[in-house]
Amino acid sequence: MRAWGLIRLYTILVYVFMFAPIAVVLMLAFNNSQFGGFPIEGFSLRWFYKLAENEAIVRAFKTSLSLGLLTALVATTIGILASLALVRYEFRGKDLITTMLISPVLVPETVLAVGLLIFLRWLHMPRSFLLLLLGHSIIALPFVVLVVQARLVGIKKEYEEAARSLGASPFQTFLTITLPLLLPAVFAGALFAFTISFDNITATIFWRPTGMETVPTQIFGMLRNSVSPEINALGFVMIVITVGVPLLAGALARYFARKKT
Amino acid sequence: MKKIDSTKRYEILRERMGNGDVDRRTFMGLLGAAGITTGVSGGIMVGMAQQARAAGTTLNFEGWGGVVSEALRKNAFDPYEAATGNTVVDSTFGGENEVLTKIKAAGNTDGHNILHSSGVSWYQRWVDAGYGSELNEANIPNLANVMEAIIAPFRAITPNSLSAVPYDYGTTGIAYNTKYVTKEEAEALGANLLLKKELKGKIGGWGDAANRAWYGALQSGQDPNNIEDWDAVWDKAREHRDLVLKYWSSGAELMDLLAKEEIYVTEAWSGRVAALQEQGHPIAYMDPKNGLAWMESMFVLKGSPMAEAEELLNFMLDPATSIAVAEGQKYPSSLDPNKVPMTDAIKALPAYDPTGKLANLVFRDPVTWNPLEKDYTAAWNRVAKGG
Amino acid sequence: MERRPWILLAPALVTIVMLVVVPMSFILVYSFYENIDLAVDRVAFQFSNWQALFLDNYYRIAIWKTLRLSVIVTVLAAVLGYIPAYFIAMTKFRQRWLLLLLLILPFWISFIIRTLSWIHILGNQGALNGLLQWLGVIDAPLQMMFTEATVIVGFLHVFLPYMILNVYVSLEGIDRNLEPAARTLGATPWQAFLEVTLPLSLPGLAAGCLLVFVLTGGSYVTPLILGGPSDYLFGNLIHDAVVSELNWPMGATLSFTLLVLLGAVVVAYSRLMGLNQLSKAFR
Repeated sequence: MRAWGLIRLYTILVYVFMFAPIAVVLMLAFNNSQFGGFPIEGFSLRWFYKLAENEAIVRAFKTSLSLGLLTALVATTIGILASLALVRYEFRGKDLITTMLISPVLVPETVLAVGLLIFLRWLHMPRSFLLLLLGHSIIALPFVVLVVQARLVGIKKEYEEAARSLGASPFQTFLTITLPLLLPAVFAGALFAFTISFDNITATIFWRPTGMETVPTQIFGMLRNSVSPEINALGFVMIVITVGVPLLAGALARYFARKKT
Repeated sequence: MKKIDSTKRYEILRERMGNGDVDRRTFMGLLGAAGITTGVSGGIMVGMAQQARAAGTTLNFEGWGGVVSEALRKNAFDPYEAATGNTVVDSTFGGENEVLTKIKAAGNTDGHNILHSSGVSWYQRWVDAGYGSELNEANIPNLANVMEAIIAPFRAITPNSLSAVPYDYGTTGIAYNTKYVTKEEAEALGANLLLKKELKGKIGGWGDAANRAWYGALQSGQDPNNIEDWDAVWDKAREHRDLVLKYWSSGAELMDLLAKEEIYVTEAWSGRVAALQEQGHPIAYMDPKNGLAWMESMFVLKGSPMAEAEELLNFMLDPATSIAVAEGQKYPSSLDPNKVPMTDAIKALPAYDPTGKLANLVFRDPVTWNPLEKDYTAAWNRVAKGG
Repeated sequence: MERRPWILLAPALVTIVMLVVVPMSFILVYSFYENIDLAVDRVAFQFSNWQALFLDNYYRIAIWKTLRLSVIVTVLAAVLGYIPAYFIAMTKFRQRWLLLLLLILPFWISFIIRTLSWIHILGNQGALNGLLQWLGVIDAPLQMMFTEATVIVGFLHVFLPYMILNVYVSLEGIDRNLEPAARTLGATPWQAFLEVTLPLSLPGLAAGCLLVFVLTGGSYVTPLILGGPSDYLFGNLIHDAVVSELNWPMGATLSFTLLVLLGAVVVAYSRLMGLNQLSKAFR
């Protein structure tokens, strides 16, 4: 159990590393100063007020959120189907197909973005939200494919074969056997897809229709005139929502459950 | 492209098919795509579509975001929309290269009308690329308040008519931390302060090719608008590179580096130093002899609805708007201080010229610089990476 | 030939072909064009861009630097990421989802802001120097920023979640009775891990390594923000060519080179994963 203690300590240290820059950003959300980091010059909520007033950021946030969720849906769906084919079937040209599916991360985004614009011009199609959604989906696809593949390899074919021999259709087998076993990978893949879409800047700049802003494009433009601490406040709000709300709900549920008994 | 809703898109498609532009299968495909676009993006686009429907004409403005767009929205766009019923869609860009790349890839200027454009060289580039428009100055009465001296360089490029109105100006001078560098020393050394060996590892620089070349010219004792010895320029750039901790590429980075004392001296944009000074950082600013001045304009791209764009420019040049923007971004307004009273905040900005003549500022001459841009950009990119 | 795998692949392949393969073919065509001036290209079929690529040392150095840095980041990410993944997969802690969620929280804050915030930590006036000075370990702040090390730190911070999630996903699928079973057969905990768990988690580790490698190899923003003048990757040359020099033909040539180099890594991975499955069948 000594070893387990070390593992836990190590894990905590890695999480500290992951959170150090985040902690800085979150603390600066309360810094009164327009700018400049430490030492913090005074506690203030002014950036939160400004954030609430800033319609542009709030609107960009909504766009980013919808885009991220739809991207997660599309990328995870097509990614799972493709991974099933790659892991469960033997066919020629697998290397090539794998490379193709992973290719969106191999091509610099600027180039991918410009290439797609030239293609659209050829088709006489304007930039649209759909384009942005499909574009984000292919950028996220490699991540989904890799994570789902890695998991599928670990799921024994025998389980599926047993279900089939008991008379289940391939679709039933997938739903009742493969999918539940695959869930952690599906969850991880969807997380990847969402975050990649939410954080994407380079390709988004080129693909978005005029006037549409996502959170990163909104921030990007601010870099010329120093970054406003409102961004830190926005990060704080989002983190509190993602972690805080489910935790609070869980705690409340437990509290009421205990009260009953 | 004007913001069009699906009905309109359908009509355009039908019309094109009638003209034989599109065959039936492409038509059905595009129709399907249009349908999916509407279906999927419906919820999100509702707001924007409403905007589009309500409007007579839509103008797309692209600028630097942040304080600039807030000031413009409040003082120019909203009043303009109320007065005309037109819509201004403002968005943020990361620079004009990005817009040019988009326009070039798309093959047309659809969706782009007015840009907050930097420098006379970009003006020339847009015009040379065939994207210049012809403004009817009679529709922009506020142009009369703009300094003659700041309009002149633009007129030199397009003598018959303007494609843009000058909007603000600033300088790229030298910022130094007064704790480590005295005023006397800075002024004695001028541009060579950036080459002071004792400050190795505490020197910064703007990683922009044209800027590096300009300062290389100053440091090698040449007239930056008439460089004869480019090797000497790059030798100075190399000398500087070996002392540099960091080349910055955005105002945010510049301010961060100076405020946190990662670097003590660097080239800097006047407005960013003003912002630092306002927060009490011990950063001083000087324009060395022949330091670089630049101006920014509101550029109207070819193919835009001209009368509407001209009216919008007039709103943007309104003294109240122009002053609000100037205070926000900390670059002086292009309006003539002899005709429009400036606020104290603006008078205190570095680079501000109370005479309205700009006689002390040296601007980049696009005639000598633009033809060389391809070469010096490539040359600098190599020098920057150790070449 | 069986049809089913192709049906499953169809949606992904169609999207990829439409949005990547076809556009990239346009880009390939561009690599034979000639750039005359900024943003002005001449339609042509000539090889000067490719010639420059092969003959010029400038590009070779960049490729070497990129491969070197990608390997360093990948190895460090594997070492740093495996153990937390193991912990998340094996812990009895009820709120495991929280640990996973925490991993992606950094993404809520824009990548550029996160990257810039390392200056708040490692800079002269950053938290770390402040702490060390307060403790009396050092008198004057250490100069840590804008070196290759900070670039690596920046990369690790961004890519570690990819590694951890991939490893976790394959560890999570391992039968938890396997390690105790190996122990009853006389294996030490370390042996049990090496012989049982590690091999079974290799697909996840391989996927994580592949991702980190290609993502690092294709980056350019991190060295731009966190590195000094000599820290750059092949991606920076592409960015220079496309964005600052507006020289698409050269940018296209460089992009293709990067695509081929990284593509070769993917093919190697694909082979390896195939072998892995084969060896499993024999076990």
